[in-house]
This record gives sequence, C-alpha cells and structure tokens, in this order.
Amino acid sequence: MNETVKTIAERIKVLLNENLGIDADVLTDDIPLFGDEIGLDSIDSLEIIGFIDDEWGVQMTGVGKEHFYNVTSLAEYVAAHKD
Amino acid sequence: MTENKNRCVVTGLGLVSAIGNTVAESWKNAVAGVSGIKNATSVATEGCYATLGAEVSADDLDGVPEAESMDRVSKLCVKAAGEAVRDAGLNLADEDARRVGVIMGSCVGGVISIEHYYREGEQAEDVTKMPISAIANAVAHTYGAGGVVTNVANACAAGTISIAYACDLIRAGVGDVFIAGGADAFASVPYAGFISLHALDAMPCSPFNRCSGITLGEGSGALIVESYEHAVKRGAKIYCEILGNGVSSDAHHITAPRPDGEGQMNAIRRALASSGLKPADITYINAHGTGTAKNDEAEFLSLHTIFDETNDNLSVSSTKAMVGHCLGAAGAIEAVFTVKALTEDTVPPTVGYTAEDLERLKERAGKIDFRPNRSRKKTLTHVMSNSFAFGGNNASIVFSKTPGDVSLPAKKQKVYITGLGIVSPAGNGVENYLASVNAGALPASPSVSATVGHEDYDACGLKMAFYRKLDAFSQLQAVSGMEALADASLTVTDENATDIGIVVGTSDGPISTVCDFQKDIVAKGNAAGSAFKFPNTVYNAAGGYLSICSGIKGYNVTVTNGTQSGISSIAYGVNILREGQEKVVLATGTDENSEIIESLYRKLGYVADSVHGAYDGDTGFVLSGGSITLVLESGENVAARNATPYAEVLGYGMTSAGLPFGQVSGSEGAMADAIRLACEDAGISLSDIDAVAGFANGQKAVDEMEIAAYRAVFGDEKLATLPLYHVKDTVGECRAAGAALAASHAACLLVGKLTGEQKAYRVTNGKVEAVKVDPKNHRYILVTSYAAGGSTCAVVLGKA
Repeated sequence: MNETVKTIAERIKVLLNENLGIDADVLTDDIPLFGDEIGLDSIDSLEIIGFIDDEWGVQMTGVGKEHFYNVTSLAEYVAAHKD
Repeated sequence: MTENKNRCVVTGLGLVSAIGNTVAESWKNAVAGVSGIKNATSVATEGCYATLGAEVSADDLDGVPEAESMDRVSKLCVKAAGEAVRDAGLNLADEDARRVGVIMGSCVGGVISIEHYYREGEQAEDVTKMPISAIANAVAHTYGAGGVVTNVANACAAGTISIAYACDLIRAGVGDVFIAGGADAFASVPYAGFISLHALDAMPCSPFNRCSGITLGEGSGALIVESYEHAVKRGAKIYCEILGNGVSSDAHHITAPRPDGEGQMNAIRRALASSGLKPADITYINAHGTGTAKNDEAEFLSLHTIFDETNDNLSVSSTKAMVGHCLGAAGAIEAVFTVKALTEDTVPPTVGYTAEDLERLKERAGKIDFRPNRSRKKTLTHVMSNSFAFGGNNASIVFSKTPGDVSLPAKKQKVYITGLGIVSPAGNGVENYLASVNAGALPASPSVSATVGHEDYDACGLKMAFYRKLDAFSQLQAVSGMEALADASLTVTDENATDIGIVVGTSDGPISTVCDFQKDIVAKGNAAGSAFKFPNTVYNAAGGYLSICSGIKGYNVTVTNGTQSGISSIAYGVNILREGQEKVVLATGTDENSEIIESLYRKLGYVADSVHGAYDGDTGFVLSGGSITLVLESGENVAARNATPYAEVLGYGMTSAGLPFGQVSGSEGAMADAIRLACEDAGISLSDIDAVAGFANGQKAVDEMEIAAYRAVFGDEKLATLPLYHVKDTVGECRAAGAALAASHAACLLVGKLTGEQKAYRVTNGKVEAVKVDPKNHRYILVTSYAAGGSTCAVVLGKA
C-alpha cells in the first residue's frame, strides 16, 4: 500500500466510524465490510458513496461491489480516481 | 354480545387533509376520487428526484387559539380536534374533566420548528414547539381535557394505536370521552429522509399498482371516542361502534416489513379475535397501502392469506393515493374515512389505475375487490383499518354498525415487576446502581449521561453489526431492555414471542438525532439527507430495535408526554396485562443527554450552574440521560414460571392540568387527583401509603408543585411522616428514565435490595428536611411524576 492509499485508508476508517458507527478497534484495512461482524448493507453503501463524494469528489454510484469489499479496496479506488 | 359497559362508540369526527379542510369536504372528494397530490411547495425540492406532496391548504390554521405557541402539526391537530368536538355536540365545560382525555399520534412532531430553529438563529421559542409531547397537550389545553393526555409516537401506526388505546382506557374505566387521532405536517425531515431511502415515488403514489414508492402527505384526523353509556346518557349521535384492536411487532427490520407478513397478520388476527369476529365478517378494509413494493407485497400476502378462504365480499382500498402518506396522522385520517365508508355504505377508491393497470390488478386481486379508481356503494357491516410502521409496528382496528363481541377477562390479572434493567449515570445494572445509591454518589457535573459500551453489549449478546446502526437513544434502550429480560430470567422463544410486549416511555425521544439530521439538510439541501440516520429519527425506533434484538413480537408502543412518560408506560403496560392482551410487558423510560439536548435545555435556561439535589430552589436542574426497563408480568405468568417479583403494581392514576406546553406550575391539583385515582385503583386508602418516590429535581417550580400536591392530598400531619425518596439526587433529571428509575428504586426498597438507613426527605408544615429512613416496614410506595404542560401520573407499588 503506497502512502497515498494509506492516508486515504486512514481517513476512510474515521469516516466509517463517524458515519456508520463501526467500532474503530475492529476496523482494520482488510476486514470485510459486508461480512458478519460489521454487517454493512445497501443503505450503508449509499452513505459510503456520499462521504467519498464529499471528501474526494469521487463518484462511486454503480461501481462494482468488489471496490466496496474492504477499506483497502475503497482507498485504492479513491486513489485511482481522485484528481 | 359486547356488554354495554365495554362498548366504545364514535360520536364525532374531524379531518383536515390535502383533499379538504373538513370531514364533509374530504369525504366528498374521496368518494369522487379526487387526488390532493401536487408539486410540493412547502419544502425545497431542488436536486431531489421526487417533488410531489399532498399538502393541506387551510388559511385558518393561524386562527386556532394560541397558534403562535404551536408548530404547524399542533395547529393541524387542534383544528381537526375542534371539528370533532363540535360534531359530537360535546360541551366539555359540562363534563367531568378528569374523565376526558386526549391521545394523539404523530411520527415527526414539530420538525418544522426544528428547521426554523436552525435556519433562524436558534431561538428559544422554537424549542418547546419541537417535541411530539406538545401536540396532545395543545389539544387538552385548548379544549379543557383533564384526564389521560398523551401521544403515541409509533410512526405510521401512531394514529391507529391512539384510537385503540383510547378504547382500552374506556374499557378499563379510566375515562368516558377521548379525543383520539393523530397529526403530522409536511416537512423537510421526512421529505429528505424518504428521498435518502429512495422510498418516494416520482409520480403520484400508486398503492397495490405500480408500487414504486410513497407520496408524503400531511393533515390530522380526530375522533371522539366515547363510552356507549356516556354517549347514550347525553343523547349523542352515534356514528358506529369501535370493536377490538390488534397491535404487534415484526422483530425483523427497522424500516422494512417482514416479507412473510407475519407481524401484519398477527395484528389483523388479534383485532378480529378481540372483536369476536371471523375473517368472513369484514366487508371493507382501509389498507395501509403505502405504494412501496415491500409494503404492498407483504400486504397483498397478508390479506390473501387471512381472507381468501372464507370471505367473498371484501373490498380493500388505500386512500393514501388521494391524501398521501400522512405518517403519524395516517391511521387517524384513514379511521375517519373508514367510519364514513361504514356509515355511508360507500367504499372509497384507490385512484391512479390505467386500463393496463386494471388488467394487471385482476391477476393480483383474486376474490378481493381492490376498488380501483371509482368508489362503490355497498352495504358495509364490519370494517377494518390497518397501519404498519417503521420499527416493525403493526396495528389493526375494527369499526362496526353492531356491538360485536368484545369480551374482557372476568378477573383482571395482577401485575408484578419481575426484572429491572438500569442504564444510568450512576452505573449500569441493578447492582451497580444500588452500590452508587448506598455510597451516596452524586452526579459528576450539571450535565451528565449514561453510557453503554462493549461490556454492556457483550453482556446482552448484542453484536456490532446490530448496535452500530442505533443512535445513542436506541442503544440505551436496547441495553436496558436486554438487561431487564436477563434480570427477570426471561428467555424470548418462538413460543412466547407474541406474549411479550414493549411500552417505551420517553420525553424527548430521538430529538437529538432529528436535530442532527435537520442540521445536515439545512447545510447541504434536502437531496443530501443521511439514509443511515433517518430511520433513527422516528421516536419508536428504540422500541423497534428492542423488538429486533430480543425477538419480542407482541404489543409495541411508544408513548411520549414529558418526564411522566417513564411511569405512564407502566400504567399502559398494566392495562395490557390486566386485560390479558399479553403475559409480559417491558415498560420503559428512556431519554438521552447529548451535546444537542444540552444546548436545547440550556436555551430554555433549565440546566443548573452547579450540581444540586432536590429542593435546592434553583431555576435549573442537573440534566441527565439514561434508560430504565421494568419487566411487568401477569400474576398467572409469575406463578407459572415461579418467578420472584420485586413488587406488585397495584394501581395507577393519570391526569392533566391542561396548561400551556412548557409550564409546570399549576399542576398540583392534577397531581393530587392522579394520586387519589392511583390509590383508588390500587384498592388502598391514602393513609396506607408508607413512602413516596417522587420527582423533585431541584428546580423550584417543579419541587414546589410536588410539595403542594402532597400537602393537598395527604395533609400536613400525614405528610410529616412520609419519607420522600428522590433518585434525581443520584442521577440528575434524566426525564422519562428518571420517572422509571423512581419506580425501580421503590421496587428495590420493597423487595429489600435497599436496606438500612436510606436518604430521604420529609416535609413538616411545608418545610423540607433531609432524613435517614429504614425502609424495612414499607408496604406501599407511591411513585409520582410530572410533565411540562401539566400531565401527571401516579403509580402505587406494593410489597409482593
């Protein structure tokens, strides 16, 4: 993970904690976001799309679900698509 | 046949909706299939994919008395209630005010004032217009009701449950006349919320047809619900009977109904059974019919499952296609339409079907007449109105031309407290709270709150995937509810899930989350509402989540009218249990403290500068938050499972002084009468009371009202011997949680969990002194509470 992705990943973790109530201590880079422990659903993905747009201006509406898999995949998508 | 003493009738109707400002105008348009859905004008629709609404255009709303002190929702309600009172020919000045109550449903309450607050410089005058509590209070204050005054806050089922509760109270002998119904105003919070969920239809909503979303509406429906004997005595015109009702919870999802319709069918079947009717007897159903795919699919399934086999004469329609989804007013508005349908022998239509739609409907309707586009003259006998809400709350009620067969148990069940869940600033769990009391703990600052964390969630078996979705208000309630079940050694199973109910009491509900959501959309626009936060803006989310995490599928209601809601929830639960509707009820008091809540109370000048206790004569109090759950259980259930009770709940009394909302001074007469009624209901005399768990919080107006009420009831001689226990010295003013904690504290005193010298107060000739008291000889403890606006509640607990 390069420094840019790492910085974005850290910010995404803060946003996931603040916006979706995910406990910071379980939120690693690779924990599956839609798995049993965190249990995100379609409403939550709308929130992720919203805060990523607000924060980096990156549109994720309609983007494949593999990019929502974990913090790393989100951060990599943002890093690749932000200005 | 229903005995005359158990008959409830409708004697007056009031309605304001998008298709009329009176019952007559709305009904005429409903029969003609006129839709009130147009482009919304009262909220900003820029950037939003759906722009329609069913708004009321009434130019006389500001003409209701004291309109300047009310949110639009209260004005709508007062207007509809006024029409109902006039229609019933009621001269409330001639009535015994203590026998006249107001039960009003609402989903979002005074959210227009919340928007105004954040747009217009955060003025204090908006704060008292915000809570749902203000609505029924406005009606009681305007028309002079002095009995049970409260609000049912169960989102889209609120209006129906309000009418059901009014009937239950009449059958329990608590009142003669109720103004019951509901109100909600078109506002940015619900509009932006449903936009965020993509649950609005871009076209006019099309229930049982396209099913691509709802159209929001606004309005108010009011019914005069009256005991048959009282109506006959005063020579009232009687529209119809109200037979039984059914209330249930899904234990499934906070916004979506169960796809299998189980909860809906439980409510419908309960309503039929409590009416003494069979499915074949129902000739018309005013359906919930919102127009969302999930609701309508589940409702198609529920209706076909229950009625197809035996009913060849059933018509169904959704008047929401004309008046929109009016949320907490929906059940009330639809009840008025249902009563009109019955008495006019006319089924109003579901409008909006094209020729192609009609072909498709034929396939889905089966034997049921879904009454598309045009009304139909038809002889109606027994009719039903259904409401299914966020939180998985379902309610069904039956109106009839004949008295039906409503029967109550010959012997009322005794009610016991068998478990406690305590989440307080003085510790979570009964033992931690009691340790704080025994250590003489005080609140740490003038603004404190209970907190829940990993240890609590682990102890309750709550996983992060569940609790992360809850706001703080719902988290407090989930933990105290689960703790209480564990304390009572009760396990919810498939067998007993429908025998257990939930009654949440709250003063301010999730107003912190509502304000947070509102602030976001004020800043970013109505297209940017948070779909994550929005489900938590409804007051009954906490009860819904508790149902989901516990598996409870029985009665589920959220009552809100100030601080006293934390013990009026107990009174509500007692009613449910005495009449055998459930075997167990979790009665709660829950209010959170947060940065936003503190800022609102500071705006009113109610937060003390320093920590102080009862009778300190301050202008403020220690603001606090927490959640308390009491497990109430029927005598038969206690015996069957050999449970050990804390105490018996012997009786309750509820009254209102009908003051302007926000005022406490002047409630002493109402409080005194609530105490007298509670003792009467308990079958004891005032002299039997050994102690009081009261509500003093150090704010002069509250404390003086309390003492004045006790002096009026007990007299100075008896009062000088009565220990007054005050839990707020330990936890601060946690509003509904404080009231429920007073009851829990009293239960602990009675069962011997608080022993030795306990801190209390005594009043000798009006002078208060702190004393130490040994509670070992207490047999009866009176629990009291108050509300801004003059509603009061008293509950008598006895040694079990």
